[in-house]
Amino acid sequence: MPSITVSYRDLYKLVGKRIESKQLCERLGMLGIEAEAAGDELKLEITHNRPDLLSPEGVARALKGFLGVETGLPLYKLSASEVTVEVDQSVDAIRPFIAAGVVTNVKLTDEIVASLMQVQEKLHASLCRNRRRGSIGVYDLDTIQPPVHYTTTLPDGIRFVPLEFARELTPAHILREHPKGIEYGSIMQEWPRYPLLIDAQGVVLSMPPIINSESTRVTSTTKRLFIDVTGEDERVANQSLTILMTGLAERGFGLQSVVVKYPSRRVRTPNLRPSRHRLSTRATNEFIGLNLKPKGIANIAKSMRYDVAGIKGEILTLLAPPYRGDLMHEVDLIEDIAIGYGYDRLEPTLPKVVTTGERAPVERLSERARRVLTGLGFMEAMTYTLTNPHTNFELMRVGGEAAEIANPVSEEYTIIRNSLLPCLLSVLQANRRNPLPQRVFEVGDVVVLDDQAETSARGVRRAAAMVIGEEAGFTYIKAVAEALLRELGIVYEVRPVEHSSFLEGRAAEFVSDGRSLGIVGEMHPEVILGFELEHPVAAFELELKR
Amino acid sequence: MKLDLHATIDGLSFQEKKVLLALQELGGRAGISDLAGHADLDQSTIMRAVLALSEHGLVGVREKKSSKAAILPEGLEYARDGLPERKMLVTLASCGPETVNEVAARANLSEERKHIALVWLKRKGWAEFTKKDEKTVLAMTESGSEALSQKSADEKLLDLLAAQARNVDELPADMKEPLRILVERKLVKVEEETWRELELSELGNQALKLGIKPVEEVSELSHELLTSGRWREIKFRRYDVVAPVTPAHPGKVHPQQQVIDELREILLEMGFVEIKSNMVESEFWNFDALFQAQDHPAREIHDSLSLSKPERTKLPSPALVKRVAAAHERGVAGSTGWGYKFSVDISQRPILCSQTTAATVRYLASHPEPPAKVFCIDRVYRHEKIDYKHLAEFYQAEGIVMDPKLTLRDMLGYLKQIMVKLGFSKIRFRPGYFPYTEPSAEADVYFPEKREWLEVLGAGMFRPELLRPLGVKHPVLAWGIGFSRLAMIRLGIEDIRNLFNNDLEWLRTRRMI
Repeated sequence: MPSITVSYRDLYKLVGKRIESKQLCERLGMLGIEAEAAGDELKLEITHNRPDLLSPEGVARALKGFLGVETGLPLYKLSASEVTVEVDQSVDAIRPFIAAGVVTNVKLTDEIVASLMQVQEKLHASLCRNRRRGSIGVYDLDTIQPPVHYTTTLPDGIRFVPLEFARELTPAHILREHPKGIEYGSIMQEWPRYPLLIDAQGVVLSMPPIINSESTRVTSTTKRLFIDVTGEDERVANQSLTILMTGLAERGFGLQSVVVKYPSRRVRTPNLRPSRHRLSTRATNEFIGLNLKPKGIANIAKSMRYDVAGIKGEILTLLAPPYRGDLMHEVDLIEDIAIGYGYDRLEPTLPKVVTTGERAPVERLSERARRVLTGLGFMEAMTYTLTNPHTNFELMRVGGEAAEIANPVSEEYTIIRNSLLPCLLSVLQANRRNPLPQRVFEVGDVVVLDDQAETSARGVRRAAAMVIGEEAGFTYIKAVAEALLRELGIVYEVRPVEHSSFLEGRAAEFVSDGRSLGIVGEMHPEVILGFELEHPVAAFELELKR
Repeated sequence: MKLDLHATIDGLSFQEKKVLLALQELGGRAGISDLAGHADLDQSTIMRAVLALSEHGLVGVREKKSSKAAILPEGLEYARDGLPERKMLVTLASCGPETVNEVAARANLSEERKHIALVWLKRKGWAEFTKKDEKTVLAMTESGSEALSQKSADEKLLDLLAAQARNVDELPADMKEPLRILVERKLVKVEEETWRELELSELGNQALKLGIKPVEEVSELSHELLTSGRWREIKFRRYDVVAPVTPAHPGKVHPQQQVIDELREILLEMGFVEIKSNMVESEFWNFDALFQAQDHPAREIHDSLSLSKPERTKLPSPALVKRVAAAHERGVAGSTGWGYKFSVDISQRPILCSQTTAATVRYLASHPEPPAKVFCIDRVYRHEKIDYKHLAEFYQAEGIVMDPKLTLRDMLGYLKQIMVKLGFSKIRFRPGYFPYTEPSAEADVYFPEKREWLEVLGAGMFRPELLRPLGVKHPVLAWGIGFSRLAMIRLGIEDIRNLFNNDLEWLRTRRMI
């Protein structure tokens, strides 16, 4: 989940009500924002569905309603600016959408600049999916001569000074040399032309989704902001712009719209009209388990920053603030009502849903196997199913196929084991300094590839036991294996078998209904030495359930 | 005091009593070897008995150090055959003055022994060496001829030591110099020896006055003793029952498995039915069926482990896939959906199960009618580098309840009951977020020791966009326990990797929960 840091002082000032830090954290928690205070700094965990809370302004806005400081829809005055954005046809194939707006009467402090940069960064990471779906640019409008052109350029078609640089670079150079170019360049890998925002005088604003130009940089003296969001998803672009601009409105700045002229249509952005939703009192009560009246729900809705356009019988019509892009279904509203009501006020109830508990059959078998093997003095080990071909195959002197990970984190864990024996040998290897004899076992899953299976692979529950030391002989380990089979009620036959992990003439196979259940024997010296062991090892591995 | 002494006597072993009596018979003072002969016990038994007796204060042990001269193998050979210089002298007596080589040959001496002989003939002054025609000629001296009739002091000492090792202090004064020479010639060695002498103490004498009767003692009861009835005649040696014994270690279930078993037990008691997950799962069941958009961040490469083998999985019925796709694209049951183009190709990709919810959703698809209460405790996989806080595979515990009239408050009720059964009394609920539940909740439990709240449980009611495509028409509560955290709390461990610790020393010494 994305997290943001905000200043406690800044936050309560924005809320307009002083509230003690500890209590604030508690209230934030009840609003669904996990908060941790360290001095003036608050670390807040914001859930994925609420990108509107990624700024202190957004959090303050929600808190105001929740604490009753200011309820109902936040009002936004949006006037029309002179600025237009002209969209060139060439962006259509690569990054077709843009939304833009103007913020006036701006008074920037370091705190506000830092928070503006933070919300941009967090929106980029979450809602904008690492700038793929959308990317934001913020500029000093007074350095720009409208109209702004949203167009494209060839990789070496223009030169400008990118942010944090002192010299002009071509787009191609930026991708190679600028830290942001290196970080996000992969988005543009397949594009023949790169997106470009440029003003009427030919001054470059930015090369989305990578970098702004130095010349349009926002400073502490900036009076008016021009904000754009370009992207492959128009909903995301509009939502990001709305979140940014309504957040800045909480600071008392003015908002102005921009006309975006596509070749075939015109749109005015941002769209700050509230969305309308229908909410049933009955459904709300049924879902939460309360007995609220429509009026009561209306009041709670207001504390969650909704307005109520009307109540007809048990149906409420809610108006949701424009920054709430997460409302997909009535249940999303119901959750807001539950939060507004207060999770801390919800009394838990325990209904009678009469069912009979039942173990999974494979777990019943596994428990029995554990009882037998611990009874025989074996210690249970729990190992990872993630392993590598060297351990799983080479050290065991066998070949074969296993499920393979496409994106392994390390070379140590690249496949899923198809046998428990290498895992137990690794356990013994890690226990070399402990006294002998050692008896260990594992009851665990392996994965076997199987074209017939639905997922082309099957998990198989197995039990394996291993002993190292002077008593690690065939007779002993076979007796242990047979005790297990007997206690599990499995009727079996024993057949000699040759297996390269075991000593020749010292391995046997257990067969039941013509199917092999597993193998028992004395491990081959090469296997023993391969795991850096220096004493005889005997082991068995049996299938408990397919 | 008396009583104590009786108890002490009673506690003495058969051997200890025998040694005490033997010491009395030998006049209250004796060496170990003397006692060995007298008490008919071997030296090590006596040593053990003496140790115990001296601990009880019944005997005193005095240590004496002495030097002992003992013959070495070469010395023994010379004692038998004569010193090399003696052999040479005897030969010289029979052949008269001769060259060195001739005398040595007749004396049958090796080259090495010849040299030894010549050195000592010269040092002892038994022969004269003169040069003649480039050759050294030997001739017997007067002291040489005297020596013929009489063994020299060093030879006498050698004979003496060949018979028996001697205490150096007991040797006559005129043997000091020959001893030095023999030691120098490495024919004899002198060793320091510690000699223990025992003496009855005052307490020992008192004990003997009280009367000590050695009765045969047996340390273990045997089949023979039992069946012969001899157990009536003998005494069983008293054991020091307080003394520590070598620990015994039972075979045990792994600590993490113990927590799994405990949790399973609780859920079974609550009437939940256990189901299992697939280790290799399709993205369809792992994500799509959970209404997680195909470009959801949790589906990115950095989050789950995808598979290159197998390459593909099979999809369930086309109708179900179509309903799920529609929920994603346009929404169902009044939802707007995610509004993107659903890809069946992505659905078929195999991954390592990243959430056990895949199993509960599979269950719902095949059991859409209430009531249902199922749970799953299984491993899930994540794209994580393993460190003290993260594992790439770990257990998740999760469950669902489906019934026509379930509410959010009922869900909190279930969570509370699980937590209380796990031993947490103070619980609080907060709003939470999961992509496939709405409303969602997080449950924290309070730790008095740490004075903090810890998040251990997440829950929610499955979204209609998830339920409708599966054909479920009733509310479903879903909860998931952060199992690793729970297990770490339960086992008192700080490093998450210890959930998979297989060090036998660690496993043996941990108490079962």
